[in-house]
Amino acid sequence: MNDEEKFTGSETPEGAAAEQTDVCPEAPETENEGTVSGTEAQKTAESSESGEVDIAAVNAQCLASGDFTGFDDAYEAALEQRARDEKAAADRASPADPDALLEVRHLKMYFPLKKTLGGKVTLWLRAVDDVSFKLKAGETLGIVGESGCGKTTMGRAVLKLYKPTGGQIFFEGKDIAKYKPSEMRPLRTKMQIIFQDPYSSLPPRSTVGGILSEPVKVHKIVEKEKIKDYVLDVMEQCGLRDYYFERYPHEFSGGQRQRICIARALSVNPQLVVCDEPVSALDVSIQAQIINLLRRLQEQRGLTYMFISHDLSVVKHISDRIGVMYLGSMVEFGDKKSIFSHPMHPYTQALFSAVPNPNPDVKMDRIVLKGDIPSPANPPKGCKFHTRCHKCMEICKHIAPKYLEYEPGHFVACHLYPQEEA
Amino acid sequence: MAEKKNRHYLTGKEVKAIAKENNKIIRALEKKKKRKAQESEFLSELKDPANILEVEDLHSYFFTDQGVVKAVNGVSFEIPQGATVGVVGESGCGKSVTSMSIMQLLQGPYGQIFSGSIRFKSYDFKRDEKGEPIPIYETDEAGEPIMEPVLDKKGNPKLDKGGAPMTAPKQKRDQYGTRLFEMEEKVFDIAQMPVKEMHRLRGRQIAMIFQEPMTSLNPVFTIGNQLDEVTFLHFPGSTKEDAKRRSIEMLNLVGIAMPERVYKSYPHELSGGMRQRVMISMALAGDPRLIIADEPTTALDVTIQAQILDLLRDLKTRINGSILLITHDLGIIAEMADYVVVMYAGRIIEKGTASEIFHHPMHPYTIGLQKSKPTMDSDSNTLFNIPGNVPNPIDMPDYCYFRERCTGCVKACFGDYPAMVQVSPTHFVACHLYDKEKTE
Repeated sequence: MNDEEKFTGSETPEGAAAEQTDVCPEAPETENEGTVSGTEAQKTAESSESGEVDIAAVNAQCLASGDFTGFDDAYEAALEQRARDEKAAADRASPADPDALLEVRHLKMYFPLKKTLGGKVTLWLRAVDDVSFKLKAGETLGIVGESGCGKTTMGRAVLKLYKPTGGQIFFEGKDIAKYKPSEMRPLRTKMQIIFQDPYSSLPPRSTVGGILSEPVKVHKIVEKEKIKDYVLDVMEQCGLRDYYFERYPHEFSGGQRQRICIARALSVNPQLVVCDEPVSALDVSIQAQIINLLRRLQEQRGLTYMFISHDLSVVKHISDRIGVMYLGSMVEFGDKKSIFSHPMHPYTQALFSAVPNPNPDVKMDRIVLKGDIPSPANPPKGCKFHTRCHKCMEICKHIAPKYLEYEPGHFVACHLYPQEEA
Repeated sequence: MAEKKNRHYLTGKEVKAIAKENNKIIRALEKKKKRKAQESEFLSELKDPANILEVEDLHSYFFTDQGVVKAVNGVSFEIPQGATVGVVGESGCGKSVTSMSIMQLLQGPYGQIFSGSIRFKSYDFKRDEKGEPIPIYETDEAGEPIMEPVLDKKGNPKLDKGGAPMTAPKQKRDQYGTRLFEMEEKVFDIAQMPVKEMHRLRGRQIAMIFQEPMTSLNPVFTIGNQLDEVTFLHFPGSTKEDAKRRSIEMLNLVGIAMPERVYKSYPHELSGGMRQRVMISMALAGDPRLIIADEPTTALDVTIQAQILDLLRDLKTRINGSILLITHDLGIIAEMADYVVVMYAGRIIEKGTASEIFHHPMHPYTIGLQKSKPTMDSDSNTLFNIPGNVPNPIDMPDYCYFRERCTGCVKACFGDYPAMVQVSPTHFVACHLYDKEKTE
């Protein structure tokens, strides 16, 4: 693959010469040069204290010449990976932000795809790759992205429903990433999830009363005699009538079932609720009811939501902060106002412009993305979005952009903006 | 009686009685569908020749053992030639059943078109006395048909008994290489058509794009195999090469980059957006005049949705067809449709042009629907919500179906179901608020 790139981009006189002469004998020489320069860079990387400065130096070299012939992608990727690991290791020691209820640092969630007979994994699916964010108590974080970008996996990994491959998850200042299931148990009352499909996430054989009182019993939220009154109280808050107590889930419509799911999540008095596409399966008029209910409950109980959805208008309505994900990475993160008033990443811009506008007279200037989302098992080199980007540059194909803060609280990973840390 | 209302179940006896009555009706309707009919029985006339489809007072029922579900209950609308008509409503409002009725694809024997008429301007092959289509032959300057050698399956010239090569008149072909036949325009009443006659329309004159591209392609056949079938079925005399050429042209038309490769691949090898493109190309292969798109983008991401909508808009002008677009997303309707039909619980409650519906919505349900959808521009804190749920489809009330959820009820709402009121030449609404005779 290295050779290909060398001979396709032939702007320099060296490259042109290589094309004119016989290709085969020339190839190993240039390859040698590449490795030599690579080891040199490695030496300088080792001699200096951190690897970040040198990546910037390599970047500057390539940028200055504007020519990526002889550019070693694998080396660059390795260097980058090392820099990220070093950063993660450096961040590991620093204490959690006391303001944040939930802080996620360099979270990784990999799934094995291929194994050798010895059990060594040869191919990983990087569903969530190095995601970091903070969420304050009482706020709502909206996560948007196309299907397959890892939003649901991240939501579940944060709740430890999957065992994360790496990174830290601070909940109320404690790192829960390495907790055992038994240690997680007392924390389960503080963090809950509402699933996407209300039709398949309720047990068909138990009554609404049974579904709602089970978590209360298991976690001993109230005394045994008071359970029914407590559950009825929760049901009333979620807009369910008291005579639903004896009914079964199949007797309800989608909206009512979603209310039952919400009531089940709230019956243990949680602080953090992960809402995994709670309204996508519902009709518009019912959607509005559920969104209003979620907002009202947030005001009454001071809940913190992580709201995962692919519907941008819903996310905009409910969130304080928004994270945009693409192929397992966060490409943009910031508060609602700054993201919606000036989206910085081209993917965010395209995503926003793709939302249909319910006004027949407005003809939108639409950025239509070409093609489909690539497979997360084999993501593109460099910036993961470069295959579909309408502002793609040569550098994007080789070097992954850094995830940097350009305004207070507004993070973007894109080469369109300066890559040096302020 | 009061006791009966409180129960939400039926006794075995009641179910049996209902089933017996239903069976009688179903049997009669099925018999009508399977009859051998002359063409004159289902020939009809359009009210306005500029339309391609007119649906008038359509009733499509499902005869279940719990009672009759009136999924479509007196629906009338028109699709003008070359226009896009959007049907919008919540799930269970009968929008999909309407489209299925137009294709006569209701799940039998329980789902039946009970009454009403669906008049469709068909543009079909002219047939001779034997029922064979009449081909158009290429002629030279003198008006004599050009002869061409007849080839066998391997491409070698066929020989007659004497050993001389056989010749036949050369048939005209269109730009995709498909053989041309003489065409004629006829108006059919689809509600009266027997199932066998429907084969002439389905996939050929009216094509349908289904909601889930994942499940509507056959997983055990290649894309090419499934696409070729359309050509084989609807263009008599097509050879394998003809069909392949046409299929690849169709894949090209919907913007698939490598049509030859997709032609050979199986559905599971394609992504959701690609599969939907294949579905659209399959719909186009029959050269239809009307495309019914039943929630074509619901299962897709926003970015892919934008691609597909762009494609549909582009294709409509290219093939000079009409689109019946069914969706629950008001945003898509606003972008695509020229005319909008709003349905609620099996009835049309409002219809008009897109700008009338979006700028001057009149029915409380339409207004509520628009206010309850969060938009990218709005900044309000709480959404407007329509209280309650859609009423039970069995035993629909005889007053306005929306009364329990409506915020603007007047005295007349406690009477009959409101009639359609005409507000402007194209804008109709079924609400007592605008019925001048009753409110005055």
